[in-house]
Amino acid sequence: MGTPTADSSKLYALTMTEGDPTWAGALAGQALGLPVYHIIEPEIKAVVDSAVYEAEVGVAEMVMDEAEAIVEAVREVRQRNTTL
Amino acid sequence: MVEPLRVVHYLNQFFGGIGAEEHANIPLQVEEGAVGPGRAVQQMLGDRGTVVATFVCGDNYFVEEGEQAAVAARQALEHYAPHLVLAGPAFDAGRYGVACAQMCAVAKEAGIPAVTGMYPENPGYTTFRRELVCVPTGTRATEMQAILTRMIELGAKLARGEGLGPAAKEGYLPTGLRRSVVRQQPGWERAIEMLEARVNGRPYPSEVLLQQYETVPPPPPVKDLGQVTLGLVTSGGLVPRGNPDGQVSGFAQEAFRYSIEGQQALSIEDWESVHGGFNPHILNTKKPSYVLPLPVLRELEAEGEIGAIYPHFFSTVGNGTAVSQAKQMGAQIAQEFKRAQIRAALLVAT
Repeated sequence: MGTPTADSSKLYALTMTEGDPTWAGALAGQALGLPVYHIIEPEIKAVVDSAVYEAEVGVAEMVMDEAEAIVEAVREVRQRNTTL
Repeated sequence: MVEPLRVVHYLNQFFGGIGAEEHANIPLQVEEGAVGPGRAVQQMLGDRGTVVATFVCGDNYFVEEGEQAAVAARQALEHYAPHLVLAGPAFDAGRYGVACAQMCAVAKEAGIPAVTGMYPENPGYTTFRRELVCVPTGTRATEMQAILTRMIELGAKLARGEGLGPAAKEGYLPTGLRRSVVRQQPGWERAIEMLEARVNGRPYPSEVLLQQYETVPPPPPVKDLGQVTLGLVTSGGLVPRGNPDGQVSGFAQEAFRYSIEGQQALSIEDWESVHGGFNPHILNTKKPSYVLPLPVLRELEAEGEIGAIYPHFFSTVGNGTAVSQAKQMGAQIAQEFKRAQIRAALLVAT
């Protein structure tokens, strides 16, 4: 995911795991249990070529105000829900 | 006991799965069964009840064509004969909140209990709170399931014909209505307990809840009035002599718009105040400009201190009008001013 805030990250992470928490869309009540990661998480950084990462994500990551909170939110949802 | 519960759920175009803002004008339509968040309601109800239908309506449509939407909702309610109507929750979405409040009002008229959920600052709640059973929400739709659970709990109680206790105890937003109850403990004992709590630094909730008025942040100062067209608004009840629009002397519901194009001053032959909250004798026999200082504004305009004066002013009677109504008037006036690119307004109060 490349969501810009902790709130939006949590929303999409939940949608991919427990089901759409707003119950507005097609994934409401659909527990997919997918392992969700944010692009700025260390696990993802570790598997992407650092030059590519820098070119594609570097600037976006730099201007993110809530980087830590984003990682925290996604990790929390992932650990609670991932079944795969 | 009413079991199983027949529930009608009201949603806007977004939660109803039709689409976003571009579909905000769709008229009220009815879907059989549960839609969107209604699926969560159905899941929570289990075999205690059924979402028999979902009414979906565009936010703009319900707010702008309120009467037509209400007629359609009333007819559909007759058809489905639910025991309970759930509306929203609307969180902090203003038009959705107003639509939910109106849907609850239609249900109430038909004798059907209704529950909604909103952020406490949602105009749907602040405007219609006296009539609403409204569960407080935050601003995030991710709380959907928790809010719906509370709405169902309260709704089921109402549908069973059980009255609700005080807002704070039951977990809905205060309606502002007070009911008389007999307390076991006499007033002097309660007062002394409160006093003891106060002097000992413990919390002491008052038994009388005062209405909290919102704080309106002042707009930033006007940088250069000489570059700006100024809009004029008065709540002094100023109307053309004879009161052609029938403005009322108190509890005004409308602001009227009158031309001052080319006028340098306001004469008692042409203008009068119908305000009922003060004595307008001097105003009506000597100087109407006490509630709209046109002569001095024209001078400032001629000197270039003010860029220009908008050729129409708005007038209402500021006497006992409800805050919500005043807000609505203000919004309408602001809309015209915005269209006309007015960047500052002078509000003359009485």
